Amino acid sequence: MPLDYRRFNGPEDSVSYRRFTEDYTKDYKQFLDELIDENGRRKGGREMDEARTLCMFFARTGMISQAKGSSYIELKRTKVACSVFDPREIVHQNEYSTLGQLYCEVKFAPFSCRGERKALVPDSDERALSVALKKALEPAVCRHLFPNYQIDIFIYILENDGACLPAAINAAGLALSDAAVPMYDIITASSVAISGDKIFVDPTDDEEQLAIRNHDGVNHGVITMSMLPELQQVSDYRQIGSMDADCVLNALSILEKECKKIVPYVQRVLVQNAINSFEQQKKLEEEAKEREEALNAKMEVWKSILNVG
Amino acid sequence: MAGLLLSPSEKVYILHGIEDDFRSDGRSNIDYRPMELETDVVSHASGSARLRLANTDILVGVKTEIDVPKPDKPNQGKIDFFVDCSANATPEFEGRGGEQLANNISNLMQRAYHSEQAFDLKQLSIFEGKQCWKLYVDILILECGGNLCDAVSLAVKAALFNTRIPFVKAALLDGGNVDLQLSDDPYDSKLLEVGTAPLLVTLCKIGEKCVVDPSAEEESCSVISLVVGVTGNPKCYCSNEDASKLHEHISKCSTIAMNGPGSVAPQTLTNAIKQGINAAKYLDEALGKALLRERQDITNFVKHSYGFFK
Amino acid sequence: MTGHVSIRLASERVNHCVPCPNELPRFYTPGEVITGMQDFMRGHGTYAEDDSLKSSVAGVMQKVNKLICVRPLKSRYVGEIGDVIVGRVLEVQQKRWKVETNSRLDSILQLSSVNLPGGELRRRSAEDEQMMRKHLQEGDLISAEVQSVFSDGSLSLHTRSLKYGKLSQGVLVKVFPSLIKRRKNHFHNLPCGVSIIIGNNGYIWISPHKQDIILEDNHDEIENYDLQAVKRSDREIIARVKNCISALVASKMMLDDTSIMFAFEQSLKYDNVKELLDPEAMLDIAFLTQHMLNDITED
Repeated sequence: MPLDYRRFNGPEDSVSYRRFTEDYTKDYKQFLDELIDENGRRKGGREMDEARTLCMFFARTGMISQAKGSSYIELKRTKVACSVFDPREIVHQNEYSTLGQLYCEVKFAPFSCRGERKALVPDSDERALSVALKKALEPAVCRHLFPNYQIDIFIYILENDGACLPAAINAAGLALSDAAVPMYDIITASSVAISGDKIFVDPTDDEEQLAIRNHDGVNHGVITMSMLPELQQVSDYRQIGSMDADCVLNALSILEKECKKIVPYVQRVLVQNAINSFEQQKKLEEEAKEREEALNAKMEVWKSILNVG
Repeated sequence: MAGLLLSPSEKVYILHGIEDDFRSDGRSNIDYRPMELETDVVSHASGSARLRLANTDILVGVKTEIDVPKPDKPNQGKIDFFVDCSANATPEFEGRGGEQLANNISNLMQRAYHSEQAFDLKQLSIFEGKQCWKLYVDILILECGGNLCDAVSLAVKAALFNTRIPFVKAALLDGGNVDLQLSDDPYDSKLLEVGTAPLLVTLCKIGEKCVVDPSAEEESCSVISLVVGVTGNPKCYCSNEDASKLHEHISKCSTIAMNGPGSVAPQTLTNAIKQGINAAKYLDEALGKALLRERQDITNFVKHSYGFFK
Repeated sequence: MTGHVSIRLASERVNHCVPCPNELPRFYTPGEVITGMQDFMRGHGTYAEDDSLKSSVAGVMQKVNKLICVRPLKSRYVGEIGDVIVGRVLEVQQKRWKVETNSRLDSILQLSSVNLPGGELRRRSAEDEQMMRKHLQEGDLISAEVQSVFSDGSLSLHTRSLKYGKLSQGVLVKVFPSLIKRRKNHFHNLPCGVSIIIGNNGYIWISPHKQDIILEDNHDEIENYDLQAVKRSDREIIARVKNCISALVASKMMLDDTSIMFAFEQSLKYDNVKELLDPEAMLDIAFLTQHMLNDITED
């Protein structure tokens, strides 16, 4: 891995202390038992098919005031910030492109993951996420309106507790609409982790780890899908692991439902946002009117003084 | 990919052809173009293969090195994929031009081989927690005539099938360091089990239908393609007697990804996945047959090396 | 639903060579002396040094009276006035189109050398200039004739005849220009039911027979015709002709309407068009076609 020598990189051959804890030596069975209790509920008290969407919230300019649009999404312990910058002309471009380009960059904070510390230079995970994000967003944006322009989308993952790609896509969709970039539809994403007959919707990091492990040749893997719900179009579908066709198709229908479930939340955030800015506008107008009245009153006073004079 | 210019009416012709299930060279939507394969073409690699699919030409070399296993997977080896889009293929790849495509393909391969059910990394272990084999799979794109992903996955599987790993006679633990003794005889080596290695099938959505093995012209008519990685059937890669001992195999998807700027309806996606799994089955059978024939030739010492003359 | 996959080994490779009755011509390599300088004129592919004429490319010598040329076997197209070519519009520029014709430099089609709707003798107005993209846009295929050759070797084209112009639905096959036999006529309506334009530049256009439509009156109808689906039977023939041409090219055989027609006749014994993609079938067709060609030359 290329190292950035201008920074302090820490000892090269250090190992996470977790390797020596008991957690590390758990086998599949123990791992599974720990994640699901006897009532069939997950560790955090969720049902198997219950997503973390409920506590999603959205901070607009509060997040990044310099960006044209920004958003922040929190799914319990997965926290993602996104900023979108204005369309700008592409420099050093040899060919005119009739469609606008999206530039996406996903970055993990160095302390965001449970395992080893993330390096400051982008690693292969981050590059793959960036490519996936770009693929997911491209069909949603009206790119023909920005010929030869580029829209920058930056994602910063502050804390990763599973499902960071769907969180990033949701955040980017929100930020794009916040930045008033024309889009065909709202974009939503969701993921599932599969291990045997267990399907975890919106998995945590532990559940993802479990799903990536192979156990006895059963189906396992993680699937992420993003959708344009109103248009009924899948904009990206990504699977890792190994599973048979029925399992894939089953997951697909679950994901489709999940993606649709997110829509009202996104809409609420956007509408709330519009109402807020509208109210703010109204308030400003009122204040302006008040000031004008005060000024007029002052004028009257001055005029009368002048007349008297 | 290479931006091929087509006139609108040419596109209409291709589109109608695909709707009619009769493409411009007479193939149906699920037919592949004829391929040519040769293994063991590079002498300094542990295993190599060259695959030619119409105008697409792929050379794969596998190098083996000794490495320390990852701390969280002490009993597994490593495998890494590198793709080089040489400027020989098309001038567009010059400089950093092919980098994105190369990254895309190597990511895809990495993910397809990720699951243990697709490729068992345990067979690369030498001494648990201390030493393992690391396979460097280098993929060279010599010529590019459409359908790179499929060709790459076929060539990689063939090269891995051909890979020989030196036999470790003894591994002694000597004060924390591992002391390996390798066999001196170059023929005293083991082959890898690659029967389950995945093949990628690209399904190009043109109009309302999906086609396999698109030509460069067809690729430029489509805005989205789906890549399905399907695990292979080990029965196709061993002799009949051995095959009967293996238990029934079910093909599984080891990765799915989408390429291109478009989007698809869920129903199309479902159909495409089914179509991809189906196509992979035939591809796997054909590859297995060809590789077994080649191995037969090698063991009978009748194999000539053809190399790069064409 | 069964897919057709064939993977053959390099050892099972088909050798595409077809025996040729003619004696092999003498080959020259770059730098090889062709003749003493005295009475000969220096043509393409040669240069003069030390009182002798030397070849600058690898190829076959051609002698016309006193002019000596060496024609490379595999080169880009070198245009001559009057050649029929098939090309693709790359760019729309001021008063002209840039056309890709497989020659060394991109060719040029002037706005003044096309037939515009509304009669030939109409003056080109500024409006016409603005409508250029309506007439031909980037990516469009055209058939044209070489009008003149510029000093740098780039070609100037014209489409001032009803047989030239924009091409609609069909298939383009690209071959080496040296494989095209020069003929009086390069537009053929093959008896099997397709039209074919064998461009001198190595681009061959195969399309279904076009019904004669009155070009002037109903512009809309022509555009609709462009988008109509080609019949399955026509499609099969086009695919067959295309695969026959690739079979002949794989065996490096000269292409003209007779050789293509012969190959087509021979290919009919393969019921399925896709069987012709198989290298063995390709060789078989090339071999049989060569046989038929030999027969007619002997007669």
